[in-house]
Amino acid sequence: MPRYSKENNILFLLIVGFLAWLIPGAGHLVLKEKKRAIIIFVTIALTFCMGLYIGSIGVIDLFGTAAIYVKVAQVMNPPIAVILGYQTIGGAYPVYGWPNEVGQVYIMTSGLLNLLCIVNAVYLAYLQRMGMAGG
Amino acid sequence: MSIIAFFVIASFTLPEKIGTEPKSLLWLLPLAAAITVVYKATKLPKITAGNFIKESALLLGSMVVFIIAIALGLYVLAWLIIE
Repeated sequence: MPRYSKENNILFLLIVGFLAWLIPGAGHLVLKEKKRAIIIFVTIALTFCMGLYIGSIGVIDLFGTAAIYVKVAQVMNPPIAVILGYQTIGGAYPVYGWPNEVGQVYIMTSGLLNLLCIVNAVYLAYLQRMGMAGG
Repeated sequence: MSIIAFFVIASFTLPEKIGTEPKSLLWLLPLAAAITVVYKATKLPKITAGNFIKESALLLGSMVVFIIAIALGLYVLAWLIIE
């Protein structure tokens, strides 16, 4: 049975968490949870794209005047949200009213769902390592 | 994500037209479905197609019923206050 040092365990958990943030479902894929990974990727990507479709990329407001909880929820999305956030600096794509509200809710929710999946992937990785180490 | 996917997403530059009528709230149904699916994907110990669909549909249904119940309660409360 393989034995893992504490440093290796922490590094593995960090890698799983980083991958899960980078691409939704990638953390679960590393843990050989293929079905979960596919469901998570498709659902989060669809939610994110739907938010952009409803409100345009203007709803991503990482560097503007949006409230801090909006920015935090949006930055939990994969890095593409940050890249798109650079495109919308200075109100390049203004959105107002309901399209802004609904689009922003979709983008924030996809970010928070991604956070849930990151935490879940790290927890599953921890459980797997504990199981392998006989914990 | 590939470069092509990025350019496709970055081309979403015009918002949809959503009015302030009550039916606009239906935009939140797909969101509830997404939350349900991801939640069940993280919570079910073993995922099989039938079980996953059943569990997700049950949770989505209970969410929608609960939202409708709250809406009706608030509507009745508002009616009692106004009348």
